[in-house]
Formats: sequence, C-alpha cells, structure tokens
Amino acid sequence: MRLIKSIVRPNKVDDVKDALAKIGISGMTVTEVRGHGKQKGHTAIYRGKEYNVSLLPKMEMEVVVPDAMVDDAIKAIIEAARTGEIGDGRVFVLPVLESHRIRTGEKES
Amino acid sequence: MRVVVGAMPGHQHTPTPGRVGGASATARVFLLEESLTAEVVNEDVRPMPTTEPGDGATMRAGFQAAREELRANTARGAGGREALERHAGRVDELLRKLSVDAGESSQAVAIIALGGYGRRHLSLYSDVDLLVLFGGRIGPAEEAYLRSFLHPLWDLGVVVGHQVREIDEFAELEIDNPEFLLALLDARLVAGAPELFERLGSTFHQATTHAYILRSLLQLLEERHAKFNDTLYQLEPDVKEAPGALRDVMAARTIAALTDPLLLTRGPSDVGRFEEAEEFLLRVRSVLHYKSGRNQNVLSHELQEQTADLLGYPGAESRQRVERLMSDYFRHARTVSRSLEWARRTAPVPVGPNLGLTRDGIRFLDPIAAAGAPASWLSAFQAAMDGGTEVTEEALSCIREHVDRCRPQDFLTGPQDRAAVLRFMKPRSGLYARLSQMHECGMLGRLFPEFHAISSRVIRDFYHKYTVDEHTLLAIRNFVRLANTEEPNRLRFRRVADGLSSPELLVLSLLLHDVGKWRDDEHAPESERMAVAVLDLLEVSGEARAMVLFLIRNHLRMSLVALRRDTEDPEIVKDFARFVGTEDRLKMLCLMTLADIEAVSPETLTPWKEELIWRLYVDTYNHLTQRYADELIERNQAGMIDLLSGRPDDLPEAEITRFVEGLPQRYLHLFAPDAIYRHVRLARDIGPDEVHVSLERADMAWTLAVVTLDKPFLFSNVCGVLSSFGMNILRGHALTNPNGLVLDVVQFTDDERFLELNPDAEAQVLHELQEAVTGRSDVAELLRGREQSVVQWRGNARVAPVVRADGAASEHFTIVDIVSENALGLLYRISRVISRHGCDVDLVLISTEGERAIDVFHITKAGNKLTEEEQRSLAADLQDTLEGTS
Repeated sequence: MRLIKSIVRPNKVDDVKDALAKIGISGMTVTEVRGHGKQKGHTAIYRGKEYNVSLLPKMEMEVVVPDAMVDDAIKAIIEAARTGEIGDGRVFVLPVLESHRIRTGEKES
Repeated sequence: MRVVVGAMPGHQHTPTPGRVGGASATARVFLLEESLTAEVVNEDVRPMPTTEPGDGATMRAGFQAAREELRANTARGAGGREALERHAGRVDELLRKLSVDAGESSQAVAIIALGGYGRRHLSLYSDVDLLVLFGGRIGPAEEAYLRSFLHPLWDLGVVVGHQVREIDEFAELEIDNPEFLLALLDARLVAGAPELFERLGSTFHQATTHAYILRSLLQLLEERHAKFNDTLYQLEPDVKEAPGALRDVMAARTIAALTDPLLLTRGPSDVGRFEEAEEFLLRVRSVLHYKSGRNQNVLSHELQEQTADLLGYPGAESRQRVERLMSDYFRHARTVSRSLEWARRTAPVPVGPNLGLTRDGIRFLDPIAAAGAPASWLSAFQAAMDGGTEVTEEALSCIREHVDRCRPQDFLTGPQDRAAVLRFMKPRSGLYARLSQMHECGMLGRLFPEFHAISSRVIRDFYHKYTVDEHTLLAIRNFVRLANTEEPNRLRFRRVADGLSSPELLVLSLLLHDVGKWRDDEHAPESERMAVAVLDLLEVSGEARAMVLFLIRNHLRMSLVALRRDTEDPEIVKDFARFVGTEDRLKMLCLMTLADIEAVSPETLTPWKEELIWRLYVDTYNHLTQRYADELIERNQAGMIDLLSGRPDDLPEAEITRFVEGLPQRYLHLFAPDAIYRHVRLARDIGPDEVHVSLERADMAWTLAVVTLDKPFLFSNVCGVLSSFGMNILRGHALTNPNGLVLDVVQFTDDERFLELNPDAEAQVLHELQEAVTGRSDVAELLRGREQSVVQWRGNARVAPVVRADGAASEHFTIVDIVSENALGLLYRISRVISRHGCDVDLVLISTEGERAIDVFHITKAGNKLTEEEQRSLAADLQDTLEGTS
C-alpha cells in the first residue's frame, strides 16, 4: 500500500477526484493547506499598495492505494491537475505499513 | 414672554415683562407694557376702557363669593380637592366672562389654565397661572385684547401669573424655562378657541419635549430637596415645597404621565393611600391660606396649633393635638416620598412616541395604543438598537398577541415607515439579536411573508447546520461582525465594508437571499423573484433595486469562482469583472459571500477560503479600476441592444450609438438606461466651444453631468469650480470616447448649503462651469477665496497618501492610483499636477470611503503611455503635493 499525497490547485480538486474515481479510487481525505514551492508567492497590488502573498492556498489530497494501482493513480492525478503553469503542485508517494478498519478492527497490509 | 408663573406681590397692576416671539415681537411687548403702565398711572382718575363699573362690581362680587365659599369649606375642615376644584370652576367662569368682555381679537385666542390652576387645585391665595395664546402674530388688536382681559383681573385683586405666546413659538423647545414647560403639562382650556388649544397640545406633546421636561423635573426636584437637607422630617414643613409635600405629589404624577401612566398603580403604596396623602396636604394648605390670609405654605408651630384645632384633632392639650396632626403629616409625607422614589427608580425613560427605556429594555408605555398601531412596532426595535438594549418580553408579547392579523402594508403606512425599515437595516451591533426577536414574535414573517416561507425550514445536506431562517439571520450577524471586526487578518474586509455607501442594501439582500429555499429546486432565481415583491413593498427602485436583485441572483457566484475556478487565469478574472461590472457590486458581493459561507456552520469559512476570496476580490478590483479602458462598448453587445430597444421616441438609434460607442463598457454598468438617455440628450448638437451641463439633486447629494469636447485642464477646471463653491466631491467618473467627446459625471455634497440657500445658486454654478471650461474665466482666481484650504492646502493627514503609477496594467493608458485623505479641492490639486506634466486625463474614477479618497486616473501623454521616467517624475510630484511639501 502506498499513501499518495498530492498538493494541487484548489480548483483542480474536483477534476482529480473524478479522475481517481474513473480508475476505481473513491476514498480520500482533502485538506485546505497553504504553502509555496517554486511559485514562492507573488506580489499583489491593491489601491496602490503592494501586498506580498507568500503562502498560496492549495489543496492537499490523500489517497491510500494498493501497490499495483500507484502508477495509474499518479498518472490520473497529474493529468487532471496539470495546467502547465508554475504552481500546479506536487505528488508525494509514501509507504504504508498497516491499515486498520476502525469499525471492524480488520487489518490490511 | 419670559414670565411669570408666580405672583407679583405689591404690584398687582404692574404687568409682568414678557416675550412674544422674536425680536420684533419682543419690541411689541415692551410697547404693550408701556401702554399698560400708562394706563395704570391714570387708573385712579379714569375707568378701565372695557370694564363698565357695573360689570366690575358684579365680577368683584362673584370673585368674593367664590373665595367666601372656599373659606367656609376650609373653616369646617373641608378645604380639600373637591372644594378647590369647585373654587377653580368659579374662577373659570369669571375668566370666561372677562374673555368675552375683552372683545374680539383679530387672531384666534385661547385662555389656558396652567400648573395648579390647570389641575383645578386652586387654593385661596394661590396664583392664577394663565397662558394667553394667540393663533398668529400679535398686533395692536391683540395688545388691546390683553389689556381688556388682564386689567380687570388685577383690579379684582387676583394674583395672576401670565404668559403670552404666539402658537408658532412652541415650534421650538424653550430649554431655558423648564418650570413653564412643567406648568404646560397641566394646561387646560378655560376660554377661547378649542382648535388652538388642540394645536398647542399636538405641538407641545412631543417625545423630545417630554424627555427634556423629565430631565428638568428630576433636576429641579433634587435642587428643591437639597434646600430641605433631603429630609421630609421638618419640624415646620412647607406643605408645598418640602420633600414628601405637594410638589412631590405632582412630581410623581408627572413622571408617571410622561413615562408610564400606570406606574403609580404598581408602586409601593396603593393608589388610595397616595390620593389620601394628597387630600390631606391640600386640606392643610387651605387652612394655612385661610388662617394666614395669604399664600402661606409653611406649617409653622403657631399654625400647627390652629390647623390641628380646625381639623378637629382630638386631645386635651394643644400639644397632643399638634402631635397627632404632625404624625399624620409625616405618615402622608412618607407615602408621597416612597411613591416618588419608586417612580424615579422604575420609570421608563421616554425614547420615542409611546416607547420607554427600562432596565429590561424597550417597552411600550401604552400597550393598548401600541397594539392598534403595528406601524409603530419597528420603532421599538430601532430604539433598542439605538439604546444598545433589547425589546422587553412585555412588548414582544403585545406584538405576538396582535401580529397575526397584520398585513405587510399595516407596518408601512407611508414613506417614513419604508425609510425606517431600511434605516433599521444599517449594520450595527445588535441587529442580529433584534431581527431574531422580531422573527420570534412573528413580526418579521408578517412584514415579509417571503421570509415566513423559510421559517424553520430544514434543508438536508452535508454542509448546513441550521434552519434556513437562522442561517439567514446568522449571515446578517456575520456581516455586521465583519464590518466591525478588530481581527488583524480580517481588517481588509472591514475596510471594504467601510467603503459601502448603502450597507443596508446588503443586509436586505442577505435577508432575502435564501427565501427561494422554500422550494426544493434551484433557489437563487426564486429568491430573486420573491425579492421583487419586497422591493415593491418598500418602494426601492433604481440603482438600489438593481443592486439587491443582482446580489440575490448571484450570491453563490463569487464563491464558485474563487473556490472552484483557476483565478490565476486572467481570463477568469476578466470574465468575473465583466460579470460584476462595478466596484460597488464587487464589494457587496465579496462581503455577502463571506457572510453567507460563515453562516453555513462555524467551520465552513476557513482563513484559507477567506484568502481565496480576497485574492479574487483584489484581482477583480484591479481589473475594474485599471483595465476597463481596454474594453469598449461595441454596437452589437448585449447591453447596447437592450439600450437601443428601450429608447424613448425622441432619441434615434444613431444618436445613442454615436454617443455610447467607444466609451468603456463599464459605462453601461454604471448608469441606468434613463441616465444614459439623459446624457445623450445633453450631448445633442454640441459644438467645439460649448459645454452642456446638468445638475440634479437626489437625497443629500448632487449629481453634475458635463458634456463637452476634450479640452486642456478640463477635469481640473470642473473640480476646481466645484471646490470654489465649497462642494465636497464624493464620487464620479470622467469618460472619453474616441471622438473626443467627454462625459464627466460627478456626485458631490453641498456641505455649506450654498445651492439650497441661494435661489440663483444653480445658475451661478452652471455659469461658472461654462466660463471655466471654455477658458473664459480663471479657476485659480475663483479659488483665491479658498486659497488656504484648496490651493495651498496643508494638513496633518490621518491617511498617509499613496501614489502609484503603473504602465503595465492597461494596454493604452498609464494608470495612476491615488489613495489620500479626502479634502476640499483634492481632485483639483491632483489633476492640476497631472496636467502640468503635459498629460491628458482620459478617464477618472473617483470614490470616497469615509475620510479616505480613492482616485484612479487613466492618463496619456501625446496619445501614448508615459515613459518610466515620466511616470516616476509624475508620481513623485503628486506625492509631494499630497504630503503638502510642494
């Protein structure tokens, strides 16, 4: 099992969710986050004054998938979230040692 | 007439100085006094002109008989209320006869009893306090009438305290004469014109007057008690003035009359004992007058013995009889004192017609009257808002009990009621709580049946935590909180709220934004449809109506774009900017979006979402103010087609097209079709050296429209002329079409009321504008009178000026953004600097938010954008000007 953690543009969440659903992945956790990568924020001007927007709003999406589905999932996420501009986000893949269903106590590994 | 509720000892023929109105009236009164005095001097040698000896004797006999009757009643210990009322009645008869004998006045006249005489508590030697009221200006005929009426009265030995007034004098509160106002509370018509007396009543009995009298009464009361060392236990008490005596009886009654007629019935003593105390004090006072033969009110040791004997107190020795009398006195004085103290502590403070402020909040002073007047209910909620309190449960019960029979129009009987609804919706602390009370008691749903449709309405989804009605009220609460927030991260939104010219329209929009949820399908269009009925009811029209409907129809739009669209894409921002059209709509929609999301649940509006909404707001604002010039009106666009199809008969299509085509698209958003048609007419047949100008007033602001062909210093001259007349420019737009036709529309306030107070002022302003714009007069010369404040303005600015020139934002123009403290002549100074740099002002947006002026200039130099160096130089010069260093 792998945890796929994606940082995407807020407006791309629905697209990514739909793309994952198409390959059979429906469970996920979505969190509002702020941060910057290469985009490093930008300068906004409002009424003549400059404002530095250093941390940009992004969405973090987490899905846990079987090892066999990792590549398809990553591909689906990237295709759905990409605009080609700086600030499209990142995908991280982490190993998952165990998973327990709270309702049944069932263990998966 | 500054007179005289009181005696004129020793000079019964000397008239009391008086005031009859303004300066001229006062002069007439002095004439009257002189003539009266002259007659007094001669009184011994000739009879009064209007009183025949026979008549005088009859009257004297009548008056003596009245006194003898009261004397006799007093002598047998019955000089109480009944006897005094009878005596007052006899004096009434006398005055009526004198009034008839005095002949005709050219004005309506009323003889009015005041104070104790007004209450019919006329003791043997009490002053007869009168108001002689005339229906118009006092002239020689009225002076003659006064002489004929008053002289015989003095001859009879009556001590008269008289006031002479014209009815119009009561239009203004006499704040320097509280005793007179108190005496007026007991006014009673004795003779003369009843309709004049009624006019006096309706003029005098105003909430503000009552509030002033109450305050004065409490102050006078404290001063009077202080003279008696604040104790009623006086060995020789003054039965009129002392604590617990007759004036306190009246004070308690007056407080009740002005605040809550039933107040004393809920007091510490039952009403019967209070009445009994008054009766006792009146009887004693009658004895004092009777025994002393004058207006004596002090129950001295000597008079205590006589009074005790006369009133039949038992006891073998005089001391015992006196002790019993005084024991009774102190018992009654304690009753009065307790009742007065109760009234002072618990009386509601009058805060409006039939409204009182108590410790529990606002309540109706007369619930029965309130029950029949639903149009007055809103004022209770407004008073609660104003007083930072709530509406009492008692008042809510009254509304609850009677609200079911009310229709919306019952609450809105006239324009003032409709205006009151919008005034109530101004975002202030407490609005949510008051609206909740109004909803809970059923009034909100009756006033707006549309809102009733969502009462306790449950919509099941994964987000909303509250019923639709509560969500709506919470959204209003959230907006009010946002508009007053001190949270550093949210101050940016507060500043946006500060810039709203009509925030109550946002509250109204929030109130109605979800009413369409009574149905299960898409609610926004249904909400808009239902809102039309409310706007019709409130008679909201024009721009305000369009704004409310726009907000309701599109209340989900901004969150959709901010949270679900790629707002880094300039096309998305451009589309959204085109959609909202103006900064005002953008600001309203932004705040509405935040308030609405926050009302879904406490967790829904995160700082993350706030940031996304803010970014969309800023990008859209910048687009609207800086890039609009790149989007010009084209012949076949939607707004144009609507404009042409609805045109009036006198405007050919070609004329409209010629005027509008090539102006920035925002022109169609800024102005309603009717305003655009007026502009087209204004531009009709304009020649190169002509200026066509119109000036209109709406509420407190004036709108000036100037159409001309572009000229050097045009904008600066327009602003300069307005400043020279002291006008405060609030907002405006300067627009230019590709043919060089310029339309400047400027909204301003006339703080010095020049236009209002001078009949030819409008013509004068328009003339000066034409002269200045066509170069026939020098604006600098016009401004010389205001040189200090305008041309060489120096100030300690509370808003640090910001100037930013941008050559990249627009395709064709250099944008100069200026934020500065608003000041008279500000725009003139700015635009002079721009013109001095050889730049043309092509477009201007002017707005004012409180003390902050926000102006965006689109400028070119010889038809091109400015170079970097020119930009820097201009910005520095403007900065120096605004900082007052150049």
